[in-house]
Amino acid sequence: MRNCLKLLILIGLATSLASPILGLAGDAGTALKTDTIRAEPFADAKTVGSLAKNDAVDILTKKGAWLQIKTKKSAGWVRLLSVKRGASSSANNGKGVIDVASGRAGTGQVVSTTGIRGLSAEDLKAAKFNEEEMKKMESHTLSARDGQSFASAGGLNAVKLAYLKGAK
Amino acid sequence: MNKLLFSLFLAAGIFGTFSIPQAQALDFGKVLKDAVKDKVEEVKNGGETPAPAASPNNASSPAVETSASPAATPAVATSPAQPEFNWKNPSQQEEIALGREITGSLLGAAPLVKDEALQKYVNQVGRWVANQSERADLPWKFGVIESNDLNAFAAPGGYVLITKGLYQKLHSEAQLAGVLGHEIAHVVKKHQLKVLQKQQLLGYGAGKLSDLLGKNDKLAKKALGTGAEISARSLDKDAEFEADRMGMILATRAGYDAYGLADVLQTIGQTNKNDSSVALLFKTHPAPDERLAKLGDSVGGNLDNIKAGKTLENRLYKLN
Repeated sequence: MRNCLKLLILIGLATSLASPILGLAGDAGTALKTDTIRAEPFADAKTVGSLAKNDAVDILTKKGAWLQIKTKKSAGWVRLLSVKRGASSSANNGKGVIDVASGRAGTGQVVSTTGIRGLSAEDLKAAKFNEEEMKKMESHTLSARDGQSFASAGGLNAVKLAYLKGAK
Repeated sequence: MNKLLFSLFLAAGIFGTFSIPQAQALDFGKVLKDAVKDKVEEVKNGGETPAPAASPNNASSPAVETSASPAATPAVATSPAQPEFNWKNPSQQEEIALGREITGSLLGAAPLVKDEALQKYVNQVGRWVANQSERADLPWKFGVIESNDLNAFAAPGGYVLITKGLYQKLHSEAQLAGVLGHEIAHVVKKHQLKVLQKQQLLGYGAGKLSDLLGKNDKLAKKALGTGAEISARSLDKDAEFEADRMGMILATRAGYDAYGLADVLQTIGQTNKNDSSVALLFKTHPAPDERLAKLGDSVGGNLDNIKAGKTLENRLYKLN
């Protein structure tokens, strides 16, 4: 009986670690908050389900400010900012452990350039003013009009829009 | 101690998490928050001048060539004989001079990427986004620095730096606009400047800093040797959330896809927390998840009627 339990736990663990990889349907994601799942990517589309914080989701596609997702219970569209990409934090922890074990912690991605510094608090503390670099930076200063021409070249048009209020 | 207080300056990075920084920062932030309210009021109302406290000797590194002396403005009142940095109400020039010192130190830690076209491009995007803000009149300056970290920094007066590491994670101009928008917002709201002001009004290192920017080049050089240290500090969490909200809107006003900044936060959120490239970022900012969720709460349906903006993947300058 005890062994059975152990086995179950092991299987459970293995599955949870593997699931992000097996998510053939789409990218793994996690709900950041409670939200309504809708039939279509519109605020007034029919409700087809709901999302609870930390629900695992499969992200199928993105359309404007909406993501098409699938959960265990339902499928439909939710607002983009309600879902974070990547599996839940427990899976991340697993990954961290593996990285440490394989000596990859601290690098994460492969960095080909050596000798390029990171920017630690210590580096910043020890930093000395560099006039030459400052002058270089200043030499690139552009006017508001320069910005405007650059925008026009890219077909960007300014939009009138108020700032957002902070949520509670 | 002086050094620590000092280092408060800059603050900012962009992306990352805002957990509590080192012990000192913790103390400082907490103490400050509580103490400052009354003190600032006191100073405001009573005109009581904070005592210049620290002796100017601790700053170690000789740094900078000093920028324009912000002489013109009347001093706070400690020593009317000499021009001093007006901490109570710094002029735009003073703000810029301060930002220059801090940014110059940061450049001492990580120089600009030697790619003129890249630097020009980042200034073009940044300038256009900054045009959408209330402080379009500042002489905005942007730069990409040689570091594999994922981070970005702002300093008073319109200085914004982004690391090469973060730049290389970007997939579109809209994402760059979102990142720069967040930093621009810090400048517009004077987040870093306010922290420095509070520090000064409380009398911490007043002697140093006023000397530093006001009258004496040598002192300035000494004192600002630690200028970049402030970049290793956290701002108030709410200041980061505010910069996210504003940055998103600034980029959207500029005609970009509204979700560029959110995309980048997603990318950062997927970076292994143990990765050294995000160490400083995560130390100085709220967790990406929290930032995304907050942003989502604020956005709600507010952008539903905005015409979809541009992402401009193809115009994003590719680094070799």
